[in-house]
Amino acid sequence: MSERYGIEIKNLRKEFGSKVAVNDISLNIKEGQLFSMLGVNGAGKTTTIKMLMGLSKPTAGDALIMGNSILTDLPKVKQISNFSPQETSVAPNLTVRENLDFFARIYGYDKKKADELAEDMIEKFTLQEVEKSKAKTLSGGWQRRLSIAMALISSPKVLFLDEPTLGLDVLARRELWRVIEKLKGKMTIVLTTHYMEEAEHLSDEIAIMVGGEIKALGTLEEIKKLTGKDNLEDAFISIAEE
Amino acid sequence: MRSIEFSKRTTREILRDPLSYIFCLGFPIIMLIIMTVVDRSIPKEAQMNIFKIHALAPGMAVFGLTFVMLFTCIQLSKDRTTAFLTRLYASPMRSVDFIIGYTLPSVVLALIQVMITYICSFIIAAIVGGDLKLFNMLFSVVCLLPSVLLYIGFGLLFGALLNDKAAPGVCSIVITLSCMIGGIWMDVDGMGGGIKSLSHCLPFYHGVQAVRMAVSGDMRRVTKPLIITLLYATVIYILAVVLMRGKMKKDVR
Ligand SMILES: Nc1ncnc2c1ncn2[C@@H]1O[C@H](COP(=O)(O)OP(=O)(O)OP(=O)(O)O)[C@@H](O)[C@H]1O
Ligand SMILES: [Mg+2]
Repeated sequence: MSERYGIEIKNLRKEFGSKVAVNDISLNIKEGQLFSMLGVNGAGKTTTIKMLMGLSKPTAGDALIMGNSILTDLPKVKQISNFSPQETSVAPNLTVRENLDFFARIYGYDKKKADELAEDMIEKFTLQEVEKSKAKTLSGGWQRRLSIAMALISSPKVLFLDEPTLGLDVLARRELWRVIEKLKGKMTIVLTTHYMEEAEHLSDEIAIMVGGEIKALGTLEEIKKLTGKDNLEDAFISIAEE
Repeated sequence: MRSIEFSKRTTREILRDPLSYIFCLGFPIIMLIIMTVVDRSIPKEAQMNIFKIHALAPGMAVFGLTFVMLFTCIQLSKDRTTAFLTRLYASPMRSVDFIIGYTLPSVVLALIQVMITYICSFIIAAIVGGDLKLFNMLFSVVCLLPSVLLYIGFGLLFGALLNDKAAPGVCSIVITLSCMIGGIWMDVDGMGGGIKSLSHCLPFYHGVQAVRMAVSGDMRRVTKPLIITLLYATVIYILAVVLMRGKMKKDVR
């Protein structure tokens, strides 16, 4: 693939009162890559993602999503991107299938196409068993799977996954990894996680955020080399504790 | 079409809550029956007319709207506490889609409720005697529309401003105001004094009055309360829409 960028972040900054949550970060993510953001609690990962989705107004700076500015082309950005929030979020009284259908429809697909896409997601995420259950009756892990399926159903060009495997059991996590791996190359993915093996397993590139700043950026090998450690966890700790 | 899709999901959320049936559909029927029984035990000399079916049915129709307000309000305030709404903010939904998506289901709910209330009223009138004219009843539904807008406006207003803990409490103030000085369960004009003036300053009394006049076929006395209610409704609804949009902008900080 030629060197096109799925996401270009330019001096993005977010302040909450006197607190600087994201401190002038700049980086480019190539189209089709899977980019992981690591960082301790409160490092600014969610805030960064929210700004990229138009859910939070940057204090300064800009970002381009497939060339569309989050400041001036937000409607376009919203159409081509989707995300699964850190907190699982589904419509509680709608069934699994209705949730999926609803999301396909608000992203502009007609009824027939929406049904097809819902069917496809139900298969991909093995939701057959629960497709007629109301979302609120599902266990946390199943709700999260649905939540991610709802993010994928709009076939986004850029996908944000904020701690997608939080609360999933080992098997479900591995299964989700397989789903995510299959998406690699088809869309640009930004993922945040607290599981180092997840980042190791999935990422093309990794950023480590500390206090709203990006302290390390590169491939897994580059980050290990940078810190002189032989696994990501040690590398992460040495950067985060610096 | 996003607004229609969102309306559908709101309707489903409301209809799949069993409380909706109890309050919006069961409650009016039971109240109609109870009040009719009460009316039978009031001596004729008391000259109490508000429980006679031609006054009771319109009162009940407006009373039902107060529950539509409650449900609109709870739905919106509950949604606002969830990450689900945040997620919809990140979708191509525009604020007009949200506004329509919260208004339309409530309008439909209100109309269904009025239908049920009126059908029941006809049955009661047939049993205990009372004269309800079909044309007047149909016309009174039109006269009820400003009140529909008014109560949905209040629901959206409180739903946008308050959290889901505080919202029902504030709604119950409006419900009480409507019932008492709105003249649904109380003969305000017979009371006079401060209460009467107060009730004439607020929209609730006029809303009930417009429907009552229509039902009793007193068409010339419909216009004034109808216009007053409509003015109030327009102001409240616009205020609610402005506040909702403001809240959405603020949520995106
Ligand atoms: N709406 C807000 N108002 C005030 N401060 C906020 C707000 N949202 C986030 N912050 C602050 O910004 C900082 C970054 O928060 P953020 O949620 O981005 O962290 P995170 O990296 O996603 O953490 P976690 O791993 O716990 O999810 C935190 O100090 C947080 O308290
Ligand atoms: Mg976070």
